[in-house]
Amino acid sequence: MSQRLDRAATGFVAAVVEAWQELRIHKLRVLLSLVGVMIAVASLTAAMAAAAIAKQVVTEQYEHDGRPALLGVWAHPMGEGVPPLPEVVRPAFFTAAEKLDIRYASMTSSMGIVTSHAGLERQAEIRIVDPAYATLHRVVPSRGRWLEEADAQNMSPAVVVGERLLRKLGLAGADLPVTIELGGTIPVTATVVGATPKGFSGSTVFMLADAYQHWFGADQPLMDAQYELWVPPKRARQLSAEARRVIAAELPGYQVDVSRMDYLAYGDEDPLREVAIVVSVIGGVILLLGALSLLNVALVTIQQRVREVGIRRSFGATTGRVFFSVLMESVVATVVAGAVGVMLAVALISNPWVAKRLIDHVDDVPAFPFEAALLGLAVSVGVGALTGVIPALVAARVKIVDAIRF
Amino acid sequence: MTSAELVRLESVTRTVVLPDESDLHILTGVDLTVREGDHIGIVGRSGTGKSTLLNLLGLLDKPTSGTLTWQGRDTARLKAREAARIRGRDLGFVFQQFNLLPGRTALENVMAPLMYASGREFWQRRRLAWETLERVGLADRVDSMPQTLSGGEQQRVAIARALVRSPRVVLADEPTGALDVETGQQVMSLLDAATLESGAALITITHDTNVAAMAREHFRLEGGRLHALAGVPA
Ligand SMILES: Nc1ncnc2c1ncn2[C@@H]1O[C@H](COP(=O)(O)OP(=O)(O)O)[C@@H](O)[C@H]1O
Ligand SMILES: [Mg+2]
Repeated sequence: MSQRLDRAATGFVAAVVEAWQELRIHKLRVLLSLVGVMIAVASLTAAMAAAAIAKQVVTEQYEHDGRPALLGVWAHPMGEGVPPLPEVVRPAFFTAAEKLDIRYASMTSSMGIVTSHAGLERQAEIRIVDPAYATLHRVVPSRGRWLEEADAQNMSPAVVVGERLLRKLGLAGADLPVTIELGGTIPVTATVVGATPKGFSGSTVFMLADAYQHWFGADQPLMDAQYELWVPPKRARQLSAEARRVIAAELPGYQVDVSRMDYLAYGDEDPLREVAIVVSVIGGVILLLGALSLLNVALVTIQQRVREVGIRRSFGATTGRVFFSVLMESVVATVVAGAVGVMLAVALISNPWVAKRLIDHVDDVPAFPFEAALLGLAVSVGVGALTGVIPALVAARVKIVDAIRF
Repeated sequence: MTSAELVRLESVTRTVVLPDESDLHILTGVDLTVREGDHIGIVGRSGTGKSTLLNLLGLLDKPTSGTLTWQGRDTARLKAREAARIRGRDLGFVFQQFNLLPGRTALENVMAPLMYASGREFWQRRRLAWETLERVGLADRVDSMPQTLSGGEQQRVAIARALVRSPRVVLADEPTGALDVETGQQVMSLLDAATLESGAALITITHDTNVAAMAREHFRLEGGRLHALAGVPA
C-alpha cells in the first residue's frame, strides 16, 4: 500500500518536472500558443469581474429604491375630501411598527423647495424622512453623516444634501457642516451635516419629519406621505398582511394598503442574469478559439516528439505516465498563462481610469471580485486538461519499436 | 558456471506485415539463453534482423511465436505495466544514434530513467546521475547540451543513462556504428568494463569485428536464425 502511494507521489512529481522541462525547451512555441489562452482568460476574467462589479453597483442602485424587502404603506380616510394628515397617520404608523416589532420604519414625503447660498439659488426637492430611511434605501453619505433622531431638536434644522446640489450652490467640496437657506419668502437657515454621492439623489435635501413639521409645517403642510417598513424577505408576505391589520386598527376610519415595493418584489428574478449570460457566452467563444489554437499547436508538436516518447518508453515509462506527462504539460502551461491572464484582468479592472469609465458614478475603485479570479484559474486548468487529452492520447499510443527505428 | 538465467528465447520468430500486406519473416527460430554476467556479441549483415532481436530481448516488442521468458516468467502473459517496470529497473539500452533527449543537459538525460523510479532512486536522482556521469568520465560536461558534445561523449552519456539504474542486462545496438574506430574502441571498452564491474549481462550487436572480439560468446544472425560461433568472428 505505502509502496503504491510512493509510486503515485513520485509519478506525479516526476510528470510535473518532465512537463516543466518540456515547456522550457519549447519556450517560443509554448509562448505563442499560450498568448491566445492568456488573452482569453484575461478577457473572460475581466468580463466576469466587470459583470460582478456592475451587478454590485446596479444592485446598490436598485436598493436606493428600497432594499428587499421593503413594504410600502398607504393610509387614506374613507370619507370624501379629507386629507390623510401626516400628523395623524405617522404616530399611528410608528405605534403599529412597534407592536409588530419592526425596527426599521420611516415616513417619506417630498415637496419642492427653493435652496440658496451666498446669492446662488436653486429649485430642489426636499424629502421628509425618518432616521431609518438611510437603512431602507442604502443611503451612504459620501461626506459627513446621516440624520439622527436628536437632530430634530437642533436650533437650525439639520439636512443631508446631494453633492450635485451642493456644487450648484457653490459648495463643492466645502467643509461640513455648512449652512444653506431653505424656502422662499422667509428663508430658514439649515445646517448641512452630510452629503449624498453624485450618483444618488443628486439634487435632494433630506430632512427629518419632526424638523420639517417644526420649521415648515405651518407654511407648507404635508398633504400626503408614504410609510415604509423594512422586513426580512422571507417574512414579507406574512408581515404585510399583519401590518395592514395592525395599522388599520390604529387608524379607525382609514383605508390601509400594504404592498412590497423593492426590486425583488416580483420573485427572486435577478435583473442582471441576462447580462451575465451574454458575457459568459462571449468569453466562452473567445476561450474556445484559444483552446483550438492551443490544441492545433500541441498536435503538430506531438508528432515531432514520437521518437522521444519511444526513447522514454525504452527506459521504463508506462503508457499511463506518458499520457499523464503530456497532459500535465498542457495543464502547467495553461495554468501559467491563465495566472498571467488573471493578473492582466486584475490590473485592467483595478485601474482607476478604466474603472471610472466602466461604471458610472463610481467614486472609489471597487475590489476585484475574488470569484472572477478563481474562475479564471479554474478555466485555465480546464482548458489545459481538455486540450491536453488529445495529444496525450496520441503520445500514449506510440509503438516503441516504430518510434525508435531509424 | 551456474549463474542465474535472465532471458531465454525458445524457437522465437518475428514476422511483420508489410504495407502491401505480405508477410516479412525476420526471425524464423531463435534460441538463446542470457545469464548474469554474460557478454554476448551478435554479428550479422545489415537487415538480417539484429535490431528486431534486440527489441525482443529488451521487452520492447513481442515474439510472433515461440517463448521468451524473463527470469523464468513467460513474457507473453506479462502486463504492459510490468514490462515497463522491468525495462526501467533491469534493462539498459544503448543505441547507435545515441537517442539522447534533445534540449536536456547530459545530467537531465541521465536523470530521465530515474523519473520512472520511486523512493530513494527518484528523490536522489540528481546525485545518482552525477555519480554515473563521473564513472563514464564526463563529470565536467554535466550541464552540456547533447548537440555540443562529440559523438563519443554523447554515447558515453547514453551509457551512463543505461547504467544509472544498475540494470541486470545492457542491450547495445551497434553502439560504435556512428563513431570513428578509435572512439568506438574507447566507448566499447568503457561499456565492457562497466558491465563487468557491475555484473550485468551485456549483449552487443555489431558488424565491427574488433567490437565483437570483446565479447565472451559469439553469434551470427543469418537467415532468421542465430548461429553460435566457436571463436571471434572473422
Ligand atoms: N516493423 C517493421 N515493419 C516493416 N519492416 C520491418 C519492421 N521491422 C523490421 N523490418 C524490416 O526487417 C528487416 C530487419 O530489420 P532490423 O531488425 O532493423 O535489421 P538489422 O538491425 O539487422 O539491420 C529490415 O529489412 C527491416 O526493414
Ligand atoms: Mg539495426
